[in-house]
Amino acid sequence: MIAAFRAEWVPLLRPRLLAGTLGAVVACAVLGTVLTFFSVGHRDFDGDPVTAAALSRPDGLLQGVQAVSILLGVVALSVVAASLAGDHSHGTLRNQLVAQPHRARLLAGKLLALSTFVVVIVAAATVVSVGLSFLLAPTRGVSTAAWSGGAGLAELGSGFVNLCLGSLGYAAIGALAAILLRGPAAAIAVALAYALPVEMLISRIYRPAHSWLPVQLMQEIATGGAAYAMPYADALLRGVLYAGVMLLLTLVIFRRRDMTA
Amino acid sequence: MNSGSATDPAHAHHRPADPPAASPAVMNGAAGVARSDTAIWTRGLTKRYGTRRAVDHLDLQVPRGALSGFVGPNGAGKSTTLRMLLGLLRPSAGHGHVLGEPITEPDRYLHRVGAMIEGPTFHPGLSGRRNLDQLAILRGIGGWHRARRQRRVEEVLGQVGLGERADDRFSSYSLGMKQRLGIAAALLPDPCLLILDEPTNGLDPAGIREIRALLGQLAGGGITVFVSSHLLTEVEQICDHLVMINGGRMLFQGHVTDLLAAEDPRILLIPEHDADARRLAGLLGDEGLRVEIDLRNGPPSASAAQGRWPVVTAHAPEGLAAHLNRLAMHAGITLRSLRAHRPNLEETFLRVTGEIDGDLVRSAQAGQEPDGSVPPPAGAGLDPAHRRGGAT
Ligand SMILES: Nc1ncnc2c1ncn2[C@@H]1O[C@H](COP(=O)(O)OP(=O)(O)OP(=O)(O)O)[C@@H](O)[C@H]1O
Ligand SMILES: [Mg+2]
Repeated sequence: MIAAFRAEWVPLLRPRLLAGTLGAVVACAVLGTVLTFFSVGHRDFDGDPVTAAALSRPDGLLQGVQAVSILLGVVALSVVAASLAGDHSHGTLRNQLVAQPHRARLLAGKLLALSTFVVVIVAAATVVSVGLSFLLAPTRGVSTAAWSGGAGLAELGSGFVNLCLGSLGYAAIGALAAILLRGPAAAIAVALAYALPVEMLISRIYRPAHSWLPVQLMQEIATGGAAYAMPYADALLRGVLYAGVMLLLTLVIFRRRDMTA
Repeated sequence: MNSGSATDPAHAHHRPADPPAASPAVMNGAAGVARSDTAIWTRGLTKRYGTRRAVDHLDLQVPRGALSGFVGPNGAGKSTTLRMLLGLLRPSAGHGHVLGEPITEPDRYLHRVGAMIEGPTFHPGLSGRRNLDQLAILRGIGGWHRARRQRRVEEVLGQVGLGERADDRFSSYSLGMKQRLGIAAALLPDPCLLILDEPTNGLDPAGIREIRALLGQLAGGGITVFVSSHLLTEVEQICDHLVMINGGRMLFQGHVTDLLAAEDPRILLIPEHDADARRLAGLLGDEGLRVEIDLRNGPPSASAAQGRWPVVTAHAPEGLAAHLNRLAMHAGITLRSLRAHRPNLEETFLRVTGEIDGDLVRSAQAGQEPDGSVPPPAGAGLDPAHRRGGAT
């Protein structure tokens, strides 16, 4: 599994992919942070007023990057789906399976490497957003005092963990789609179509579904339970359960499947 | 003048539907080989896709240390068989052993096996070297010693002559370079068994020679090589062992010489005067030989009237050639040409497999002429263009 983990970094670290994903998440982080600070005095996406006082609270530092947690999730989902399904469609998977016939170990190594990659890109987005927040705060009359205090650092830590968990949840959907569909374009398209419009429509039409739909739960976790009135612990438990089931399915299919790619 | 052409009656009346059982080529040269002496051993290996049997009760035995050729028309089931041996496909039925370990447990033997299946497949955005590096890491080559791993990658790149272009992106490689990289990847683990699916597909003549030499050298060093190919002259030249399948079923396995020895040798005689053909045939028939007459195109320089020459084919070994010549001479028949024809693998293959693409057999049968002969292959056979293009 360690060999599979190490080997997966070879394609992940190629400059184009690295530049592309980091560019995408950094752009997302900048967008979210700038929009958050410029909406002080206006209302946000959900219609709640954004105030300088709210942003000055210890959890204000991560508001910018949390605003684009969906986009981070989308990037995570796409990277994982493209990478796993790409192995199928390029035919590289059969070489890898000859080199490491233990399929569970191969997949576990790959998923571990991809998860680490997701954490790295979330970290990059967080760093950029935090830096930018400190730059923008004085211009909008937001106080940064609470951010760097003990409570602020605790919020930063837990907020980052939540962002990572949420993004990893999206990534699990990408992994399942990749193993099921075996082509990067199809996997990304189907996974995103499900994650965004389909779930959004269902939860719009039937509000209680919100607390049971996987992507809504991932969203809930990513924002630390801010978006919808439901206990964070419940959301976390359900989200982890969903992700676990998806990964288990991925593993079972991957182990049993005939490799015709 | 190709004596293996479809105009040859012996060939034309060979129905593709019933070759295996009736053919003298169906034999099992390695029947006595014990399982422990074989690198690859299967019994009743079968793969079904829906109702189609891609591989049908295959009993393979490839001796250890052999350089074994795996041949069969397109769609015969070669790649499917190789995939099952590598644990990529689950057999629908049957069982097998590779290097003494059951094929249901590929992790027990694949660390000693190098393989390339259905063409070279690598990450297009990575260089050849990085692609090999990834596989080397996955195989645990060199452990955590980066230098040791890189040395091995360098070695195999050198072996296939790809050293100079190793740092270019895989997507920028020519077909032949991709193929070389595939072979390099197969050599990476320093294998005891090398399984290659059409390794020479897309290589230039010099490249084919290089690979032939490389395979010979590897087999000489004790590695078992099981290589599928459509280049039958290559197979005939380099392989000591042969497995021939069609429609998923075994047609022959054993030594190439055994297969060719079972073929009937022929002597082709062309009389100077066309009118003598029938008399010559009668003469040879009186000697107790099986004889056929058919028309062949003469050399292009011949005038239109002489465009087609009657060729008398006597089924007789080469040793009788002088005797037949004397017979003709005594009867006052001058021969324009007298040629012994030794059967080669390509001809034997075409005859045994029915000259028709495996996948097209069914449709071709529907199009059979009333006399049971098969219409000209019309691109379905294994013409050189077809070999290159559609092989993977
Ligand atoms: N995934 C699949 N689903 C359905 N049928 C398949 C599949 N893979 C292979 N087949 C069928 O199995 C048969 C054998 O295919 P295979 O690829 O093993 O042939 P081959 O001998 O390698 O041919 P070629 O010389 O063209 O490479 C063919 O009829 C093919 O259509
Ligand atoms: Mg094939």
